[in-house]
Amino acid sequence: MKMDRRTQRTLKKTAKQTVFYILLTGLVVGILTPVYFIITLSFLSTREAYKYPLPMTPAASMKFELKDGKRGYLYSVWDRVDKKYQSVLDTKDLEKVRVYFDAQLGVEITKKELQAQIDKFKNTGQPVYFTERRNLISNYQTFFSVTRDAVPALFRSLEIALITIVISLIIGGMAGYAFARYLFKGRDALKFSVLFVRMFPGVAIAIPMVIILANIGLYDQPLGLALIYSVGAIGLTVWITASIFLSIPISLEEAALVFGATKLQTFIRITLPLAFPGLAAASMYTFLGAWNETVAAIILTQFHPTFSVVVYQTLLGATGQVNLAAAGGIAMAIPAVFFTFFLRKYINQMWGGMSV
Amino acid sequence: MTTAMRTKKRSKHWAEKAAPYLLILPVVIYYAFFWLRPVVAVIIGSFTDPLTHSFTLNNFNMVFHEADFWPALSNTTIIVVISVTLEFFAALALALLINRKFWGSSYFLFLVIIPMALPPVAAAAMWQTGLTPHGWLNSLLLHLGILAEGHKIYWLGTYDVSKWQLLFVIILVDAWTTIPSVMIILLAGLQNLPKEAIEAGYVFGGDKLTVLRKITIPMLSSTIQTAVILRLIAAIQIWLIVVLLLGFGRLPVLVERIVYYHEEVPNLNISYQMATGYTVIVSLLVSIAAFFYLYVSGAFKKQEGSA
Repeated sequence: MKMDRRTQRTLKKTAKQTVFYILLTGLVVGILTPVYFIITLSFLSTREAYKYPLPMTPAASMKFELKDGKRGYLYSVWDRVDKKYQSVLDTKDLEKVRVYFDAQLGVEITKKELQAQIDKFKNTGQPVYFTERRNLISNYQTFFSVTRDAVPALFRSLEIALITIVISLIIGGMAGYAFARYLFKGRDALKFSVLFVRMFPGVAIAIPMVIILANIGLYDQPLGLALIYSVGAIGLTVWITASIFLSIPISLEEAALVFGATKLQTFIRITLPLAFPGLAAASMYTFLGAWNETVAAIILTQFHPTFSVVVYQTLLGATGQVNLAAAGGIAMAIPAVFFTFFLRKYINQMWGGMSV
Repeated sequence: MTTAMRTKKRSKHWAEKAAPYLLILPVVIYYAFFWLRPVVAVIIGSFTDPLTHSFTLNNFNMVFHEADFWPALSNTTIIVVISVTLEFFAALALALLINRKFWGSSYFLFLVIIPMALPPVAAAAMWQTGLTPHGWLNSLLLHLGILAEGHKIYWLGTYDVSKWQLLFVIILVDAWTTIPSVMIILLAGLQNLPKEAIEAGYVFGGDKLTVLRKITIPMLSSTIQTAVILRLIAAIQIWLIVVLLLGFGRLPVLVERIVYYHEEVPNLNISYQMATGYTVIVSLLVSIAAFFYLYVSGAFKKQEGSA
């Protein structure tokens, strides 16, 4: 009887555990499926990216068939979806074949290699079958070479993020130190203002800023955007740095002062090194904010877009190929995901550190 | 000698008093130039006649009479209400579910971060390529045998699609992107709760639901407020995913209208007035939410001894 109850309990526990892990697996699948498919899409050849249904995995290589054609040689490619060879080209022009292979299939083949296959066909008279490795990153290469502005926009986005980090670390860090170390009149009002400005919609500053920046010659300039991004970034930096400085024991600073260091020396030698991880976190958040921001960048740039605007335009225009758009999206996502992983520890401080 | 020392001391005392203000001064100046000035400019601009430069309510009158204004306002409201509610309850359920030690919990949290780490345009790329009729979602369903050969689901509808279907899709996509971040905030709150209080609830005979309702949720309330209002502020400004999935004008929302008038039809003689009008409306809504948040989170209250 007693035994029974125990088995029952174990059974119940196992059942609960099973349900829990099934739910968890469902969640993981739900999160990973779209991520998996956009990555796959970014590796698909243009030819396959427009197939329906789409292949579920990217191909590492492609199989070809070469035989006699009406106008020259008939090139067929193995279609993974239809499970048969499909003719794609009938030509004598090797350059045409090379370009097609490169642009549509992501296969980089030289004319010499093609000629070798043709010679083989001539010698045997039988259809020739050959396999070529695909250049998996060809969509990425094409995205950056074909999309106007993609490369300069990438560097511009980095430049904007860096300027924003410098501005917000200096200005925000100072204020963060003040909030952490001093009690003063108007502290609450100032803290409230910082939080409020941080929450204010960026688009609402961007619209009037068009004229203001144009007047000082900074419209459509990286510096202009960095100035706007810093408005939000300063608030965030104040927030994070204040909680960091607060966590550094004031006794350490006092000890340094007792040993004859000046306030500035104390700050540079003692406080700053201790605050470094927090400052790094604030910088990474600022980077993410500037890197991801789209709407102000759309409004405040014209001929010098940021990278997010370039990807936005690729997605908005019907001209953008889906596999290239996917590659652009991934290129955009990589630094963001990378920095977010670094920031895991600080995610909670982002909004949790209200009692600054 | 002593007088000199005293003056030095006094000046030091003065410096000590001025120090926080000097440290904060750059922020104040920066905000004055790059926040207050544009905000005042846009407010004044929205009440100014572009030709006569005199005070007018006409700009707002125009916005209110635009065919897309009420749809934009109602769509935004529907998205905000439904998605914030849905995301909150889903995130709370998930946070409660995974608030325990289990095998692989750190890996799981690692994965959960992915959707919140994605830049909005990257997330949009993902769903745009997925939701087109020949996209990866239909392809997957076909490969799994859920969808019959030659059939497609028109997720984003055809020209005569109902607004509700579009709203439904947008809300689901938004949920995918934001539930993880809400969950992370709530999970952090849950992990900071004193375990004794919850244990006490069980000791005094409470069942799971009672403990959750009477102890966990009330103790979590400040975290919940943070999570909900921050989501509210973000949801009011939804536009990118709407435009990248549906294009301009198919499902108007407030910020989409700003970008539409500023970027898509910038040369109409009403473009600037429309853009500023919508901007002021969005700012007002967000400000109300932000004020409310700062009020409930106690930022208005005097803080004692926190420095």
